[in-house]
Formats: sequence, C-alpha cells, structure tokens
Amino acid sequence: MREGRTTIVHTLALMVPFLVGTGFLELASRAGWVESYLLPAPSAVVGTLWTDRVEFLAAFQDTGYSALLGLGVAVAIGTLLALVFSLSEWLERALYPYALFFQTVPVVAVAPLLVIWFGFGRPTVVASSAIVAFFPVLAGGLAGLRSAEPSLMDLFRLYGASRGRVLVGLRIPSAVPQYLTGLRIAAGLAIVGALVGEFVGGGGLGSVVDVAKTQQRVDKVFGAVLLATLLGFLATLVMGRVETWARRRLS
Amino acid sequence: MKLFSLGLFLVTSLGAFAAPSDLRLTLNWKPEPEFGGFYEAERIGAFQAEKLAVKIQPGGAGTPVPQMLAAGQTEFGVLGADEVVTARARGLDLVSLFAVYQSSPHGILVREERGFKTLADVFGHEGQLAIQRGSAMALWLEKKYAPVKVKLVPFTGGIAPLLKDVNYAQQGFVTSESLLAKRQGAAVRTFLVSDSGFDPYLAVVAVRGDYLRKNPELVKAMLRALNKGWVSYLKDPAPANLIMGKLNPTIDAATFAESAKVQIPFIETAATKKSGLGSMTVERWRTLVEQLRAVKIIDKDVSPESCFATLK
Amino acid sequence: MLELESVRRSFSGREILGPVRLRIEEGDFVSMVGPSGCGKSTLLRILAGLDESDVGGRLTSSFLPRSTGFVFQESHLMPWRTVEENVRLPLELLGRKADPGRVRELLELLGLKGFERHRPRQLSGGMKMRVSLARALMGEPRLLLLDEPFAALDEPVREALDDELLRLKREMNLTVVFVTHSVAEAVYLGSRVLVFSARPGRIIMERSPNFPSERTALLRETPEFHRETRLLSRALRAGYEEAL
Repeated sequence: MREGRTTIVHTLALMVPFLVGTGFLELASRAGWVESYLLPAPSAVVGTLWTDRVEFLAAFQDTGYSALLGLGVAVAIGTLLALVFSLSEWLERALYPYALFFQTVPVVAVAPLLVIWFGFGRPTVVASSAIVAFFPVLAGGLAGLRSAEPSLMDLFRLYGASRGRVLVGLRIPSAVPQYLTGLRIAAGLAIVGALVGEFVGGGGLGSVVDVAKTQQRVDKVFGAVLLATLLGFLATLVMGRVETWARRRLS
Repeated sequence: MKLFSLGLFLVTSLGAFAAPSDLRLTLNWKPEPEFGGFYEAERIGAFQAEKLAVKIQPGGAGTPVPQMLAAGQTEFGVLGADEVVTARARGLDLVSLFAVYQSSPHGILVREERGFKTLADVFGHEGQLAIQRGSAMALWLEKKYAPVKVKLVPFTGGIAPLLKDVNYAQQGFVTSESLLAKRQGAAVRTFLVSDSGFDPYLAVVAVRGDYLRKNPELVKAMLRALNKGWVSYLKDPAPANLIMGKLNPTIDAATFAESAKVQIPFIETAATKKSGLGSMTVERWRTLVEQLRAVKIIDKDVSPESCFATLK
Repeated sequence: MLELESVRRSFSGREILGPVRLRIEEGDFVSMVGPSGCGKSTLLRILAGLDESDVGGRLTSSFLPRSTGFVFQESHLMPWRTVEENVRLPLELLGRKADPGRVRELLELLGLKGFERHRPRQLSGGMKMRVSLARALMGEPRLLLLDEPFAALDEPVREALDDELLRLKREMNLTVVFVTHSVAEAVYLGSRVLVFSARPGRIIMERSPNFPSERTALLRETPEFHRETRLLSRALRAGYEEAL
C-alpha cells in the first residue's frame, strides 16, 4: 500500500517542475516576454506535433530503426572485441588505441566522410550511430570481463580450468552488470549518432530538424528535438529495466 | 556544422542583452568574392570614414543568420531574399537594405558525361542531387520539374562527391563552386536556377526593423560605406581578394580572380546603373512572395513593401 | 605429505614470507596463527599451487594435482548460480560426472538439505560458508586448505563450524591446513599449531599439544588448554613486538 502511494508521490514530484516550467513558458510566450521566433510557445510545439503527426511519426520510427541497427552493429563488434581483448593481452595492447579513437572522434566532423564511404540514406545513419555507440559496449564488456573476483579466478585455476572455461563459467557471468550498463549508455548514444548521421545522410528526425531549420520553423525544430529526447528516454528506460532484471537474476 | 547551428539557435533563444561597441556584419558563407565589397570597405577605411567600428563575421554551412539577427547576436546580416520573406512570415521583422546579387547565381552542377541539356533533364533522370532540403529554391525546383526522378540528398557544402561520382549533382554558385570544379579538372555543366523562373536577390544585407527605426542615421552611414566598398571592389578586386584568400584558403588565388570577374553581371545590371548598387524593386519582392506562397513555404501573405527599405 | 624448504616470497621487493621450513604429514591438522600481513595467506596459496616460492625455495608434495580443496575468507560463491550449482563447480571443472546422490549427500552432510535451489543472496553468512566448504569437498580432495574461513562469523556459528570441520576431516580422511587469527581456535582444531612472526613471516614456535583427538567443547575450559593458548599467545605477541 505504502509503496504504491510513494510511486504516485514520486511521479507527481517529477511532473511538477515540468508543468510549472511549461506553464511559465506558455505564459511568457503569450505575454511577449519571449521572442516566439526563437523560443516557441509549448502550445505551438504541441500544435505542430499534432498537425504534422504523420510526418513526425514516420521520422520517429525511421530514426529509431536506424539507431537500433546502429546499436546492433555496435553491440556485435564491441562484444566480440571485448571477448577477444580479454583473452589476448597483446591483441588488446595492439588494437585498443584504435578502439579509443571511436570514443574521441567528433562524429560531426567524420559524418561527411561516412557519406562518401556508405552513401546517402540509412547506411550512413547506421554507421554514424554504430561509431558513437561502439565504445561504451567495448569498455563495459571489457571492464565486466575483468571484474571477476580474483578468489574465484584462483578457484578455477585450482581445478585446472582452461581459459575458455574461465571465460564462459566465470568471466562472462561476472561481466553482465557492467556490460549492461555499457549497453544502456550505448543505446542513448546510438540515437545521438543516428541524428548526426541524418544531418548529412538524410532521413528521420535529423532531416526534419534540417528542413525545419531551413524553413525557420522553430516550433517544428523543437517538436523534433522533443521526439528525439523521447526516443532516448525510451531507450534508457528499456535498458534500465533489463539491467535491473539482470542484476536481480545474477546477484 | 548543422549541429553547431542548431545548438547556437537553441542557446540564443532567450533574447539578447549586450550592446557591443563593434557593429557586427555576419556573412552566411566563408569569405568569397560574393562578399568582396564588404572586405574592401574595411580595407579602404570606408567604415572608419563614417565613424563606424564594424566587425565582419564570416560564416559557413548552416550559419543561422536570421536567428542571429533575431537574438541580437549581430546587427547586420547577409542572407537570401527568400529567407527575409520567410522570416517576416514567421513573425521576425527583418528589413533588407542592400542586395549584392541582383540576380541569383544559384546553379545546379552536373557532370558533363551525363549529357543533360536542361534542368528538366537533371530532375527527370536517376541519380543523386544534393540540395538544401526544404529551402525555397529546392521546393520551387521540385514543384516545377515534378515528377522528380532524381534522389534528393542533403547538401552540406563542398564539391568532393561531385568530383568522385558521375551520377552526383549538386547545388552551387556559378560564381564559385562551378569554377572550383573546373579547376579541379572535372567536366562540369551548370544550369542556372534563375532560368526556371526562381530568381531572388541574394547576398542581401538586412537588419531588424526595430534596429533600423532606432538607428536610421547609423544604418545610412553603413550603407554609404558598403556602397563605397563595392564600387572599389568592382574596379579592382585583387587587394580584397588577397585578404579574403588568407581567411578562406580553400579557394586558390586564380579562382578568386576568376570568380570576381564572373560575378560582375550578377552585381552590376541595368537596374543598378539606374538606381545604384544593391538597389531593389517592389516588383521583384512581390514575385518572390507569390512564389514562396505557391510552394507553401509560407502560408500567409507578406507585404512586399515591408521586406526592404531604400535609404538615401 | 608436503615438504617445504627455504620457501620465501617477495612482492615488489618487499619480503613477505620466509624462509619457511616445514613438513606436513598426511592426516595432520596444522593450524597457523600470525599477525596480519605475515604471509600466511601467501603460504597457503603456495601450498595450493596457486603461487610459487621465490628462487631457492622448494615444495615437494605427494598429493596429486587437483586434489586440493580451498576455502577462502569470504565464501566467494557465484551469485548467478544456485547452492547446488555452486557446489558442483569443482566436478564441472575437473570434467567428472556429478553423481546426484553424492552431491545431495554432501549437502546434507553440511546441513544444507533443502537449500539446494537457493541463491547465495538468500543465505546467512554461516550458511554461505557451509556451501563454500561443501564446494571445497566436492572435488574429493586429499588436502584441504582454509584461510581464516570463519573469521567473519559469530562465535556460536564459528564454534559449530569448527566441530563440523573436525568431523569432516575424520570422515573424509583429510589433511588440513587452517589459517586463523584466533589462538584459541588454532589450539582447539589443530594437532599442530604454528606461530608465525610478523613480515617476513617465519615459524617462531610450533606446538603439538597432547589433547584427545575427539574434541569437545569442554576442552576449552581445561587448564591445559589455557596454558597452551597462553604460551602461544605470548609467542604471537613477541612476534608482533619484534616487528615494531
């Protein structure tokens, strides 16, 4: 009983600043304190989301799909590399600096190159998304694989376990919590990467922002940004649930 | 770049406060002969002579000039006439003062190998066309040459893909990108967009209406200086080209010279000989407003007279 | 039989252990006490084959490889496995088939009947230690090494597990090396008690008290017991002070 009440109170507590802020903004817009050309009234943003809902929905799905694919690629390559690096120290030392490059490269600068290599449309968007999402997967996976308790490692050694058995029986299960945290971060980043890719490659919410900005439709820009934020929020929510479930099952 | 401009756009949304000592003139691209008269005005001390301290701010892909004017981040901005009309339709009171390009040098660049003879060919065949999506020009061309067979892709500046890929076409200025492509050895054909009937003033210097009303003498002084700059630049572009060349190393000196020459008929016309450099007519603005309404980029009428001011 | 000669161990230039000279016979229950950091754990790991003496030292063992069980200070159970799955680990790693009857027997032996499907997080500290013990015994070791296994537990639990351990040693015919902080526990459990000095750890006293092999709680009250513990405690303290 009390838990249910607490959740309601929490939700209300979250809503209050949002409602107050939005209400104030609406008021400010109508009173002319804020230049509506630069900062639209919330009602205008909601209005365009409704009026152009077909376009927005399609763009939302487009970006979401690209981000999902990008995340998939990042997870596949990141996970594989984490496993390889955990097994071979010299491979790790040789290749890790290149992996680090993906963490530090400003994808906005690289995006035009992606178009040259992958062409316009989804391939570039997915590539951009994957580049940005890749490193947290690798870092989380590697940290997780290394987080196996030393005493358990000793135990495995005591019974003469092979590297493979240690990997499967100990390292991988130990890695799950940190790996999933990496995935959660990667999921959010995959969306950002997709948006950047869309600026140069076309499609999705990125395109909506591009066109809206060109047409000086600040309400539409905000609408698209809002949807992109929602997408990111959903991704984090889903991954957070997975993380919680895994933590409960595995510890 | 677009992400940067989006960020800037959002950050400046809460209005401007500071009144700087320098007047800012923000360009919507990197320094090129398109802006030669401005740098020349600076060089020959035209601003100083009018007791003005002016800072020329170069731009790049996606520089949000209308938004910067709205936020008070710049006093004078350079943008296209279509952008001025759109801004007015969105509630931003912008007034144009000086139109460098009397006719639009916008073109669609394609590779000669395609064998296209008209703009219609470009839109009627498969391939890729990089164009600023949602812009008035793009919407006009898409409407005029419907059904569009070519795949429209985002345009982010530069000519690299054009040089690499035969099936790639892109927007560009006949006074700039076309020459660059030629210099890089590509066989490129340029179709003037104005041939399709869409011919807005470009490289237009504009201010906020309230700024104009508050500082009429200052604005007039600025225009006098700009005029002097352009007259001087048209006579001899070389010194200003040198200055701009240092600011924009992506274009070599020879191309700078050629561009300055090729752009003259776009700047000096029968109209400017009569009414002066940069002058504008209400008929041109009226046509533009009608065209923007036709492609539905604006949904309300904008008074053509309100778009510009002729100051003496 | 285990024989150590001139066994020493240094880490980053610091001598932690040694030289140690020791012989352990089959059937011994060797208790080791010593100040923290004196290398007892390191010695245990060397006995287990998880670490090696520095050059010059030698370990001779008649125990077959992989016939050693190890119990750590913390139970170190795998949280993603059930009690039964945790206990079965040695068999898995040794590639031996798990006889379900045998597994159930061992669990029952350690008072874990009914907890087979539980997760470690559902168990108390004492229960987890029992699982850790069961795991160590699952591989049918001849040698059992324990590193302060009951230190984190309450006294009554500790004493119960002490008796449990003695019983298991008897029933399974084990040789045991037991490291502890507690002199009383060392004396209660061990047929031999070794006192180590502070770092670098060396054996400074050895006692083989003449107590009956069947230990009962009453033993702890006898004057002989107190005498032994006093003697060993004094040596231990001396070992501490020597280091200061």
